[in-house]
Amino acid sequence: MRSIPERWINRVVAELRRPVRVGDDFDDKVMNVVRGMPPHRFGAWSRAIRPRTITISPLLSGIAAALLLAVTLSVGHLIGATRTARASSPRADLASDRGGSTHTAKRRPVQFVLVAPTARKVQVVGDFNDWDATHEEFRAQHRGGGVWSVTAAVPEGHHRYSFVVDDSVWVTDPTAPRVLDDDFGLPNSALVVEGGDVGR
Amino acid sequence: MRRARADVLLAVVASCVSLFAAAAGAQAPNEVRLARLDSSTRTTVLALADSARRDHLPSEPLVDKALEGSQKGADGARIVTAVRGLYAELRTARAALGASASTDEINAGANALHAGLPMRNLAQLRSASQHAGRARVTVPLTVVTDLVARGVPVAVASDVVLSLARAGLRDADFTMFQRNVRLDIERGADASTAAQTRARGAALRGGRSS
Repeated sequence: MRSIPERWINRVVAELRRPVRVGDDFDDKVMNVVRGMPPHRFGAWSRAIRPRTITISPLLSGIAAALLLAVTLSVGHLIGATRTARASSPRADLASDRGGSTHTAKRRPVQFVLVAPTARKVQVVGDFNDWDATHEEFRAQHRGGGVWSVTAAVPEGHHRYSFVVDDSVWVTDPTAPRVLDDDFGLPNSALVVEGGDVGR
Repeated sequence: MRRARADVLLAVVASCVSLFAAAAGAQAPNEVRLARLDSSTRTTVLALADSARRDHLPSEPLVDKALEGSQKGADGARIVTAVRGLYAELRTARAALGASASTDEINAGANALHAGLPMRNLAQLRSASQHAGRARVTVPLTVVTDLVARGVPVAVASDVVLSLARAGLRDADFTMFQRNVRLDIERGADASTAAQTRARGAALRGGRSS
């Protein structure tokens, strides 16, 4: 078998290594040719509808599905909770009566006073604090001479309340209107906090 | 590469957890508020509150009533009975006061019904107040309930407050009238006489009770 002369090989290599000179208008020429081609039948959607092979990792796709499910459930839950909150949160109905939201329902300072010379602790409970006797905001202070008082912000509207003395004795406010709601054996006092809803 | 993938996984898991936490935190507030009730009582109260909402009645008083009962140590059966009773009173109050009645009025009306006022008296009070230019009857309803609670017969209390509403008393005047009657009773006056006497004075003074 005859060997190829070394100088031929060198010439071929030199030719291949020589940079190809492209004219300045090369790009424009190519683009003009492309623009002249007939458009695809589905235009812009051609990429989306063209069949292609996708590689899926079982772990990542599982996580993606779980995340999608979590987002869906959470959003649904939040929407449901928001609807429920709007419909039933404290004073939400009052607020809607006044054309406002729960958060914009006005609260006004109300002073609660009870004369209880032998008391060691006096707390105000009512529908404005879920009848919860642990609210510091509604814990009365002893002012001396057996007079206990606390001033707290109460939403505008009609309320029922009572005093709890020494964590055990329920006492109506002697100066306030009474409510005969003695379903649980102990009547309450009524309070109407002045606002847009009350009066004329 | 492996480290980066682990970070992404961690971020995804954290996002899921925080989303679920946010959703759990935003649970229906009434369920959270009624958590101190036993399961059966809570379910019944929540169902009644849902029914009230569907009937366009205020549901908050029902939840409040259940919470009050719980704080006063009532058992579940008693709480449910009280809540059912209040539901019926709210419905009657709304029927008597009209569809435009506010939540406060319905609440006060339910209390008045509970005190023994007939439904028609609520409607009369509403009508008289509207004729006198009064927008709301929350305070008159609160006063009539107080009069009954202090021993004024239902018929007398109803007539007195109705006459004051027709006379055009303002809320502040109603409050003053209630205070005066209370003081009279506390000083030993007959409840009925005190209410009627103070009402005549308030009406004569154009709404200024003294």
